[in-house]
Amino acid sequence: MTGGWYPFFRVTLKWVGLALTRARVSGVAHIPRKGPFFLVANHESILDPFLVQGNCPRTTHFFAKSTQFTANAVFGWFLPRVAAIPARRYRVDPQSVRTALRALERGDGVGIYLEGERSWDGALQPFRRGSIRLILGTGVPVVPCCVSGSYDAWPRWTRSRRRAPVHVRYGEPLHFGVHDTRAAREAALDGCAERLAQALRDLRVEPPPRPWPTGGGA
Amino acid sequence: MALVHLCYRCPECGHDPMSGEGDAAWCESCGVRIERRGGRLLISFSDNNIQFDINASDLYVKIHEHGGPMTRATRADGTVRYTARAEVSWRISEQPVWYRGVLRGFVETMGPAAPGTITVDRDTVSVEDGRAGSGRWRHLEVRAVQAASRSLQLSLPGDKLVQLRFLGDSPRRWEILMRRLITDAYERAGRGRVVEFQPRITTG
Repeated sequence: MTGGWYPFFRVTLKWVGLALTRARVSGVAHIPRKGPFFLVANHESILDPFLVQGNCPRTTHFFAKSTQFTANAVFGWFLPRVAAIPARRYRVDPQSVRTALRALERGDGVGIYLEGERSWDGALQPFRRGSIRLILGTGVPVVPCCVSGSYDAWPRWTRSRRRAPVHVRYGEPLHFGVHDTRAAREAALDGCAERLAQALRDLRVEPPPRPWPTGGGA
Repeated sequence: MALVHLCYRCPECGHDPMSGEGDAAWCESCGVRIERRGGRLLISFSDNNIQFDINASDLYVKIHEHGGPMTRATRADGTVRYTARAEVSWRISEQPVWYRGVLRGFVETMGPAAPGTITVDRDTVSVEDGRAGSGRWRHLEVRAVQAASRSLQLSLPGDKLVQLRFLGDSPRRWEILMRRLITDAYERAGRGRVVEFQPRITTG
């Protein structure tokens, strides 16, 4: 479904990402060798897709904001070839869910930035509830992946990239089981979100503490 | 974008707005200066030149402690009113994305941008650009709010989507401001606590 472009572009993403960040990558062995899976990650920087998808050896269809597809002709051509799924964020988008479910049925991975957008300040944002419902409805394993330091390298509020230590860590798959009724998904939603957030926090490589200076810097 | 979009008011004294350019922002009132150097965010104070490493997330906390965007939007008599100039564009269509004969999804096509304004008060938001889409809506009618890169997107009744690219104001400020006003409007109307602003405003 992704054609012959995917392996080429996946490796390209990987090496571009590593060249831009010199990221240290670990835990790739946690990604299932076969069968469907979700790959969920935090989102701090525009660099994250290079690192998260580029280092994942399996075909992974990532949700991407629909405006990316129309940003310019290059993106419009490129994004379907890296298995990106356009997601309209301003409305419930059943077609993007259908595309993700078809990918899972084929045994591919589906990637989700659970916060739904890049963090403004590097902190983990609340997760999109629709994404959690999708995970709970399918019951496939969920591989958490935490990117640490990409915010320092390239936060969303600047156009300039800087050198900063970046770590990409994939964690052990989490299993939530199939919640095939709406009531079951709603009941499990908060617990699932908290477990995923904790998994991402556990994978995070924390920077040194930076307490807020007091007394006007004295 | 620029650091001043994240740090739209002074995290130290609360002065609003901060001044700034590129990767630096400074307070005209107390002299605090924040800048990004290398991969670090540094703050210095007017009484000395020592620079301290800080986390961007602490900036948000400090700004929030000073009232976030609400202080500037609230007038002396307690009413809320805030306006900003923006390039305004409206969705004109949605296009399918096909790849190898399979429908992968849909993307929106935005129409041409025109100069306009967005104004909020405690109960309503109005967008005015001299075109047919302009109007005023109650906060309770807004369907979704989100920042998209440098813009703010509002999903409005009638399946309207408007995108505002601010001219001299912070999309982060506006995202927080809109969400705060909508949250307050829902609580005043007894419609519950808003738990999500996109893809649809929902209460829990």
